Amino acid sequence: MRKTLKLAKREYLAAVRSKGFIIALVLAPILMSGSILAMALLGDKVDTTDQRLAVVDRSGVVAEALVAAAEERNAQAVHDEAGKKVRPAYLIEVVPPAADAAAQRLALSDRVRAGELRAFLEIGPEVLHPGEDAEARAIRYHARNATMDDLRGWLGWPVNTTLRKARLAEAGMDAAALDAMLIYMGVEAMGLVERDAAGGAAAARRSSEGEALGVPFAMVMLMFLMLMMGAIPQLNAVMEEKNQRIAEVLLGSVSPFQFMMGKVLGGLAVSLTGAIVYVALGVVALSYTAVAFPVPYHILPWFFAWTLLAVVMTGSAMAAVGSACNDPKEAQSLAMPAMMPVLIPMFLLVPVIKSPTSGLATGLSFFPSFTPMLMLLRQSTPEGVPAWQPWAGLAIVLAATVLTIRAGGRIFRVAILMKGQPPTIKNLLRWALRG
Amino acid sequence: MNTVELREVTKTFGKHVAVDSLSLDVPEGSVYGFIGPNGSGKTTTLRMIMSIFHPDHGDIRVLGTDGAGADTDRIGYLPEERGIYPKMKLREALIFYGDLKNGRDLPREVDRWLERLDLGAWGDKKIDALSKGMSQRAQFIAAVVARPELIILDEPFGGLDPVGLETLKDAVLDLRRGGATVIFSTHDMQVAERMCDYIFMIHKGRKVLDGTLDAIQDRYGQDTVRVRTGGGAGALAGLAGVEKINDYGRLQELRLAPGTDAQAVLAGILARTRVESFELARPSLHDIFVRIARPETEEVGHA
Repeated sequence: MRKTLKLAKREYLAAVRSKGFIIALVLAPILMSGSILAMALLGDKVDTTDQRLAVVDRSGVVAEALVAAAEERNAQAVHDEAGKKVRPAYLIEVVPPAADAAAQRLALSDRVRAGELRAFLEIGPEVLHPGEDAEARAIRYHARNATMDDLRGWLGWPVNTTLRKARLAEAGMDAAALDAMLIYMGVEAMGLVERDAAGGAAAARRSSEGEALGVPFAMVMLMFLMLMMGAIPQLNAVMEEKNQRIAEVLLGSVSPFQFMMGKVLGGLAVSLTGAIVYVALGVVALSYTAVAFPVPYHILPWFFAWTLLAVVMTGSAMAAVGSACNDPKEAQSLAMPAMMPVLIPMFLLVPVIKSPTSGLATGLSFFPSFTPMLMLLRQSTPEGVPAWQPWAGLAIVLAATVLTIRAGGRIFRVAILMKGQPPTIKNLLRWALRG
Repeated sequence: MNTVELREVTKTFGKHVAVDSLSLDVPEGSVYGFIGPNGSGKTTTLRMIMSIFHPDHGDIRVLGTDGAGADTDRIGYLPEERGIYPKMKLREALIFYGDLKNGRDLPREVDRWLERLDLGAWGDKKIDALSKGMSQRAQFIAAVVARPELIILDEPFGGLDPVGLETLKDAVLDLRRGGATVIFSTHDMQVAERMCDYIFMIHKGRKVLDGTLDAIQDRYGQDTVRVRTGGGAGALAGLAGVEKINDYGRLQELRLAPGTDAQAVLAGILARTRVESFELARPSLHDIFVRIARPETEEVGHA
């Protein structure tokens, strides 16, 4: 154990003294927040060129109201308070329906291609009282890319409001009262009501995106960052030390298992250093900002426990695979498959965060290599998980970590001095099982 | 007392038998030279003594300990292919390696060795700034800085210039005088002849020679003549009773057929050319090595 710790200490010092570590420590959050910032900045930079829409209204009830709605919108939403144009104006061109609908569609499509129009809207003749004829009651929006189009999204509301008003007017409603009848009310997202100090009901909090998405994402991204810092690099580091013959000199003093664990624990120390720095910075930053929700600090011990196990488990696996690689090419081709257990949960974040207590999310979070990330993610959501689940997950991950270290140690012992044997799955399995 | 004892040790890799029922005793305080062609099993044997490899069959005792538990703290090991962390400073790296073996008084010991091997000015330089010869000396220090009782050196002298070789050779002999047992492998037969108390030759995984240089040479008898003549090698061709001529340019080494009278050979040479020197000798280690290993290389040559 003492030799393992000596090796780990050297690994740790070599890593944290390097410029790369300092740069990574500073750069990673900048890059991450930078991409969020870029999205926020670019999100505002919309194209403000006016958009011309041709409307072929075969029902005869929508076009006029649509022109009015567009004018009203253009008056309100195109310019901000300072008079700066922030959105495109929607210009409606009413086109009388032609007898040959197909030829008219082709002609309008050509005008879109020529750039005269953004899109054209064709309103079926029976939209006011939709019948069985799907063609007659259809409202169709034709554009180059109709799916990703703000204009199409805007049309639904004025078109349907117009149609509803027309139907209500037909039923004898007072036209003046219709606007009041059709007022739209939003639904607010609220948290549950907690008991206050006196045992009564406290005011419920407004649920926020920061609480529902920000905290869980931040936790898992931080863990991923720590894996990238202290565990994933083991593959190349071990391959290099094998190649540079550093390994055999060390094996004159330590056992292969001590060698591997020294590297893994050194990587763990690097990861924990990074995690402590970021968590400390995060806590300080949060204490200076007004956050609309209580930060779930109780999750932090779990964060460190999961990160520790994930780094040790992944680090041992990476070191074992690295020991089997004979050159950088082999290491490179194995890097992607070896990272899969860490990458797959990253792709599952959105479905799990949306319904953290679903059967799928629960099941996935008990798959050992996913558990640290997905269980932490589920724990960090406002909904939380049943209390037994993290502990059960912890037991599973502990067992998986021990198994990974043992199998990794066997591979490492055989492979670290072996030359010319490619690191195929077959070889790795054979070494892991038989040593 | 033997520092290392191998009993009927066999090690195979797949179908290849690297070491074949090898037995060997390395007495305490001796310098033991391992020789043999490339791929004959030297490194495998050394790695087994280091417990880096475990034998398939047979027993190994090292420093009185049985089997796989050799106490690496008491053994210094310089592998044939070696590297030190390239980004570490020399002194720091040597202290680290000494510390891994729980060495004592390391800073002073490291400085003493750096001075001794002419690396005193390089202690604060990074390893990757050292020349090949310097890093080889540095690696030697890493192997011996923790004052091991057994020192195992795999090809320690390869690629050294004559000055570096002398320095390292003196250092090894000093370590032996200090009580350490030294095992080293080498391809340099002269080094083996001059330094080793015992010589062990392995060929195709099997022991073919083992003993003192005298004992080995005695086995081959006085069948060698070293001769320097006015006519050179050309004048010696086809002499009766001469099996083989090794031409070293100014000197020729003749191997006599069994039962040949050296005086008759001398007379034969005198009849052809002027003799400047004539020495009746035992075969050199080099010659013995070649005699054992040659059939192999000739086979390879015809293949």
